[in-house]
Amino acid sequence: MSANRPGSGEDTGSVKNGSMERNSSGALLDIRDLHLGFRGYTGYTKVLHGISLSINRGQRVALVGESGSGKSVTARIVLGLLQETRTARITGDVEFQGNDMSSLNASQRRALRGTRMSMIFQDPTSALNPVFTIGYQFTEVLRRVDEKLSKEAAYLRAAELLHTVSIPDPARVLDAYSFQLSGGMNQRIIIAMALANSPSLLIADEPGTALDVTVQAQTLQLMHDMVATHNTAVLFISHNLGVVREFADRVYVIYRGRIVEEGATQSVFESPGHAYTRALMAAVPRVTGGGIPDIDDESADFHDPCFTHDSPIAGTES
Amino acid sequence: MSAILSLKGLNKVFGRGRSAVHAVKDVSLDVAQGECLAIVGESGSGKTTLANMILGVIPASSGSIELNGVALPHKRTLEHRRAIQLVQQNPLSSLNPKRSVGASVRLGLDVYEIGDRADREGKVEAVLSDVGLDPELRKRSPAALSGGQRQRVAIARALACDSRLIVLDEPTSALDVLVQARVLRLLDTLRREKGLTYLFITHDLSVVRNIADRVAVFNAGSLVEFADTETLFNSPQQDYTRQLISAVPVLSAEELNFRSALQSREHKE
Repeated sequence: MSANRPGSGEDTGSVKNGSMERNSSGALLDIRDLHLGFRGYTGYTKVLHGISLSINRGQRVALVGESGSGKSVTARIVLGLLQETRTARITGDVEFQGNDMSSLNASQRRALRGTRMSMIFQDPTSALNPVFTIGYQFTEVLRRVDEKLSKEAAYLRAAELLHTVSIPDPARVLDAYSFQLSGGMNQRIIIAMALANSPSLLIADEPGTALDVTVQAQTLQLMHDMVATHNTAVLFISHNLGVVREFADRVYVIYRGRIVEEGATQSVFESPGHAYTRALMAAVPRVTGGGIPDIDDESADFHDPCFTHDSPIAGTES
Repeated sequence: MSAILSLKGLNKVFGRGRSAVHAVKDVSLDVAQGECLAIVGESGSGKTTLANMILGVIPASSGSIELNGVALPHKRTLEHRRAIQLVQQNPLSSLNPKRSVGASVRLGLDVYEIGDRADREGKVEAVLSDVGLDPELRKRSPAALSGGQRQRVAIARALACDSRLIVLDEPTSALDVLVQARVLRLLDTLRREKGLTYLFITHDLSVVRNIADRVAVFNAGSLVEFADTETLFNSPQQDYTRQLISAVPVLSAEELNFRSALQSREHKE
């Protein structure tokens, strides 16, 4: 898989969904030993120290960690955005639908975005452009796949999609601007747009963190249902463990650019194997009470090697 | 315990005529000396408007705010302003990037003319060590500090003028979970040691459960439920409160049981 297949990205400019399944393991996204560093004024800073992660078709995978742990840069590499940054040095393999991302050029990577992979950002209101109507932006998304789509047809399709995310009056919303709508409404629109072209991978970077707790719960439920209908796999990036537990099938815990624990959600949450994961979980205040957690935010055993839950006997150390 | 702050029939209406928004509706409540009172509700429920009125940032449309039994005028004197301090959500935007940490903390002392120059420097060092920071950090700029350190600076600034009442507006929601736990612990310790009173504004109910003595639940500008923390979580009276509590994402089996018990009660009624 790590072999560089020249020409494998030849026809990625066209948008045929799922026609490129050449991966022997059947993984939709396969990241192996990914390293990332940035050249800066003060020298070279290593950010990722060999991340391996894989997502199967339709699977919901969470990447959990603190700010600065490398979650969002991983997402940016998958999207092919960081490859455009001159100061970034990326090594390792990222394979999406069997294509080696490093063999693609900028326009081929661009062709994947919005069609076969899409993204939901943390703050829905800043993710939408305030000077264009929702309808205009939605049309743009739909035309990523069908360039000849007429404005009327695009509006009809957009209204249909907005209806699926329980937006009561789609026609009015399409003519509105993002700042005229509530945060929860904007987040629904973003979800509808992200899934409009039935991508095979959705990257959600802290969705709902900017929303309050009831709206966040509704948004997650909606995302959960929507990805199930579209059979979309999700890379879910978050630092909120409660949200991850409710959303993901599989969890990767990242600490300072290294994966420290991975496994099925239930087994990670029921028997966390790594000291850092245990600290993270213990640090969450419980709604049932028990006082404010007393946790050190630094410990030598946070640097222990990765703990994997994957062997048939649950919780066996790798 | 006597009331340090009492709100009586407080209203706030923005705009007038048909486009008027009634942001806070007839709110009356007492904050007892030394307690941590949580104000919870969704965005737009009037939490921050209420805090702004208490701080004197915006005038109330009607009703009165009493501090230690004395009504506060719309136009606050220095003494009034000194009495109530604020810690905001995002320390990156609440701290002036061009001012050193020490200068930010000292600003209140300068404005309220507390002590002489040497006293003020000594006080800055003392409050910085109170919040668990190295006093040497006072020469640094906020940009050189981590998120948790910055929020500690914001807390130190609120403590510097020896105010008894501190309004905390989502003080930990911009922080990571490990850092949040440390900052919450610090806030709790400071309150006990210094006899502070907190008005803790948040939408994170799991934080509320562990830090607050009493909880005031707001919905659409009105105070819908007001009870001590144990009572509120164990037998919430309002559907709205139940919905808020059961929307909290949970981790442990114990919490799952708690939530399903809550939800089943909701369906029965």
